[in-house]
Amino acid sequence: MTSDSKTIDNKVSTETNTDSENSYKKSLVGFFEDITLLTKFSLRFFKEVFKPPYEFNELVRQSYLIGYKSFPLVAITGFIMGLVLTIQSRPTLAEFGAESWLPAMVAVSIIREIGPVITALIFAGKVGSGIGAELASMKVTEQIDAMEVSGINPFKFLVITRVLSSTLMLPLLVIVADTIAMYGAYIGVNLKGDVTFQLFFSQVFEKLDFSDVFPAMIKTFFFGFSIAMISCYKGYNSNKGTEGVGESANSAVVIGSLSIFILDMIAVQITSLFL
Amino acid sequence: MKKTSGNKIRLGIFVSAGIVLFIVGIYFIGERQQMFSKTFNISGIFKDISGLQIGNNVRFSGINVGVISDIQQVTDSTVKVDMLIDEDSRKFIKKNAKAIIGSDGLMGNKLVIITPGEPGKPMLADNDCIATAQPVSMDEILMKIKVTSTNAAEITGDLSSIIKNIRDGKGTIGKLFMDSVFADNIDKTLVNIKQGAGGFKQNMNAASHNFLLRGFFKKKKKDKDKEKDEKNKN
Repeated sequence: MTSDSKTIDNKVSTETNTDSENSYKKSLVGFFEDITLLTKFSLRFFKEVFKPPYEFNELVRQSYLIGYKSFPLVAITGFIMGLVLTIQSRPTLAEFGAESWLPAMVAVSIIREIGPVITALIFAGKVGSGIGAELASMKVTEQIDAMEVSGINPFKFLVITRVLSSTLMLPLLVIVADTIAMYGAYIGVNLKGDVTFQLFFSQVFEKLDFSDVFPAMIKTFFFGFSIAMISCYKGYNSNKGTEGVGESANSAVVIGSLSIFILDMIAVQITSLFL
Repeated sequence: MKKTSGNKIRLGIFVSAGIVLFIVGIYFIGERQQMFSKTFNISGIFKDISGLQIGNNVRFSGINVGVISDIQQVTDSTVKVDMLIDEDSRKFIKKNAKAIIGSDGLMGNKLVIITPGEPGKPMLADNDCIATAQPVSMDEILMKIKVTSTNAAEITGDLSSIIKNIRDGKGTIGKLFMDSVFADNIDKTLVNIKQGAGGFKQNMNAASHNFLLRGFFKKKKKDKDKEKDEKNKN
């Protein structure tokens, strides 16, 4: 009796182990499959982007929704980013008696790193989830199939316009966010000090260089591209009914945000190689 | 339809504002690097540039007038530094001006400081080579500090042996401070001097009443009174 129960226990634990191993294998295989499909999806984008017809009106509409509609959110984030970074950096610099370096230090950290990354994260949260959910619900309700039947290329109309507008709008949003963050930093400096507007900006531009601005701007194009591409891929390939809509939106944001950090790390490595 | 065109206008404004902000930023950064202003080129030959880099500032009379545009090693002990200088400053920089490598504050970036030449001399021409002076490097300062501190250590050693001698009552100063017999002698000497001074005063009093010297003392008294009257009048 005892030996029987032991055998059953062993059988159950072996089965559980096999199940968990299988699920790990499945998710690992799924991960690599996803990478392959995403690469194919991106290649299809580059194949089709230059082919007519061009959906210019849809591109403008998406740019308005993705770019202009994100402006208030990005502006508020940018302002708080500049203000908080200045307030937090002051005590450390004050210890060395180097408070006059505050504008330059905040400017370099915002322009080089914090501005592009934080704006891209906010962008991934707002736009990535939106695109993921929208395309997934279109897929689930078979609107994408209907488009194909009616002779419209859904990839061109839905994916290319969104990816292009996201790639073009994120750099603009970053420029606006950086500018507003500098204004926030100016207010932050003046909370406990007395620095004129002109002196603040002359100190900011004194320390900024083209090597700070251009790599930071170039990487934002890649951020915008990857966010929209991942979101479109997740939405376009959603096939689990209504449950899949939520999952697509969620994974679009998570993978999109992760891709920002990975791209940022690569960008920093490349920049440090050349500059 | 109206809504669509309104959206397009808003998007257009947003895109234009973003591009304008970017161009303004680029302009200000470029202006600092003398990209959009008229400039002329000069160069200087240095033995050691102490970590100067391309893009560092060139300062004249405390004003940033240019940037370092190129740095080239010419021989094993000479480095050629090219500088782009603002055209507006050309009239102030004379042929015999000198360039020195300094730094912006204690921890700041390296920069080239141009000292003004003598007035009346001709202005620098394009691609001129400016005279240079070797800066005092941090290593040299540290070497000097090392010599000074060695000297200071020797001096304090000497001082401590002198103080030890004084404590032991050796030498004149040691005796003065530490020897009680010596102090008694000085005390007695002072008493003797005091007595001697009293006797001398008596002798002088007697001399002033002597008929041979009375005239001299009277004359002296008159001169003194006269001087006093003049002082009162003034």
